[in-house]
Amino acid sequence: MAVFNVRNREIECKIVYYGPGRCGKTTNLEHIYRSFKKQVSGQMVSIDTEGDRTLFFDFLPMGVGKVMGCDVRLQLYTVPGQVKYSSTRRLVLKGADGIVFVADSLAVRREKNMLSLKDLHNNLKSYSSSVFKVPLVMQYNKRDLEAQGIPLMSVAQMEKDLNSQLKVPAFEASALTGRGVGLTLKECLKRTLKSLQKELRLSE
Amino acid sequence: MNLKSRLTGLLREGEIYGSQGLFQESLQKYREARQLIQETSGIKNRDSLLAVLSRKINTFEEAAQKVDQTPAEAQMSAQQQDLVKKLFAYSPDQDPDSIALEGALALAKFGQFKRALAEFREMLSKESLRLQAAKNIIRCHMAMSDGQEAVVEYGQWMQSGLFSRRQLEHLRAFLHNLVEKKGIDATLPQPSEDTPTAEPTVAADEIDEEEILDISSIVIHFDSGPYSGKQLELDVSFQTGNVISLLISSHEKEIIDNLTVGVKLENLQFFSPIAIFRGSGVISAKNKIDAGPKQGDYSLDIKIIGAE
Repeated sequence: MAVFNVRNREIECKIVYYGPGRCGKTTNLEHIYRSFKKQVSGQMVSIDTEGDRTLFFDFLPMGVGKVMGCDVRLQLYTVPGQVKYSSTRRLVLKGADGIVFVADSLAVRREKNMLSLKDLHNNLKSYSSSVFKVPLVMQYNKRDLEAQGIPLMSVAQMEKDLNSQLKVPAFEASALTGRGVGLTLKECLKRTLKSLQKELRLSE
Repeated sequence: MNLKSRLTGLLREGEIYGSQGLFQESLQKYREARQLIQETSGIKNRDSLLAVLSRKINTFEEAAQKVDQTPAEAQMSAQQQDLVKKLFAYSPDQDPDSIALEGALALAKFGQFKRALAEFREMLSKESLRLQAAKNIIRCHMAMSDGQEAVVEYGQWMQSGLFSRRQLEHLRAFLHNLVEKKGIDATLPQPSEDTPTAEPTVAADEIDEEEILDISSIVIHFDSGPYSGKQLELDVSFQTGNVISLLISSHEKEIIDNLTVGVKLENLQFFSPIAIFRGSGVISAKNKIDAGPKQGDYSLDIKIIGAE
């Protein structure tokens, strides 16, 4: 949940990168950490385990400057993607102001994407929220692998599988090369701030 | 597609999936490649190809096994635990006691039970936190499958003189319920006249009669009547103890008419931030909203009378 500090005119919001195991959530944050040095306001913390799999979460604090006269501070998190870390995923998701759903474009991961989106839906529901309410952006990651002859799903297929009802902005990306990473975050931040602004107006 | 390109494609996929940590997908491709070679005669370097594939398959089988065997709970470093306390302690109050309690709870939620236990034990010295800390100590032991340790600690509290008689009785009931559920054979002594107890104070002796989790939404399953087989999912707008308030749109008029005060709802599903559970409840109030943006809708109160 966003924190508003009226006296200091500061907004702190939380964006969570969600998606199936090994889809590239941590790689997204690593790219942001490397490429947006000016905005990054602290160390990126990764708590991983065997084979670089996220066990608890990754955390990256950022400052994105002034928006509506307020200093906006961002906290980026990733959840652990593996099925067995379900309770940790739910804990990290708590209070998310915006979500980036990172889908794996590999054809062999089609079902995992759908299961992970369903898991997000259920977890949001447990917090009285919904995938239809929360500011959400889709990212179709690993598009670079097409050049290596690896079977990928077409964007149209992924849209049909994951976004036909949600109809949220979706970006093709390669977190490894950085393509689409900044755009995804920017759109998610835009939607998140818009939603917070609306929330603020309602509470006034 | 000729054999060579099929094989090359499978090996490429196996390699890429393996490098991405997708071990099962990688194994699948290498096994397909092995089968293809085994079923095809006349391949020149057949034996050496099969040997290479066997090695790859072994390597990724071991890697996949290692991942599967990684325990779901792992220990963080002290710095990581500090970060968890900082990031995940949701305290509405700014007083140090609430922050300390929320911090220890965050540690427990992330499975960092040893440090959480140490922090809860420190809180036992504070009257305002004592009961909550003790209950969380019991919960930590249970989560660590160490019910006997909880029983031992309860025994120590009995002799400590820290708790009032009512608090000890409450802790005993709380622990008894948990050990019984876990099938632990334990005798829990009742506080007696000889038990050293603290003087009860109003603030420290407040105990919730019903410990109900915060519920965010519920699903009502209609097992009988005109809506038999249907279900209605509703968000909880307010909760006080075991009474939850729900808003029902005026569009659901037929359903609202069937939900009258006193009706017992047997098949309810409750969603809370940490668990989903089933239970039953009784409709304790139903009011039409007369003003504001929800005018015309209904507010329904359900008293939870049982939870599994």
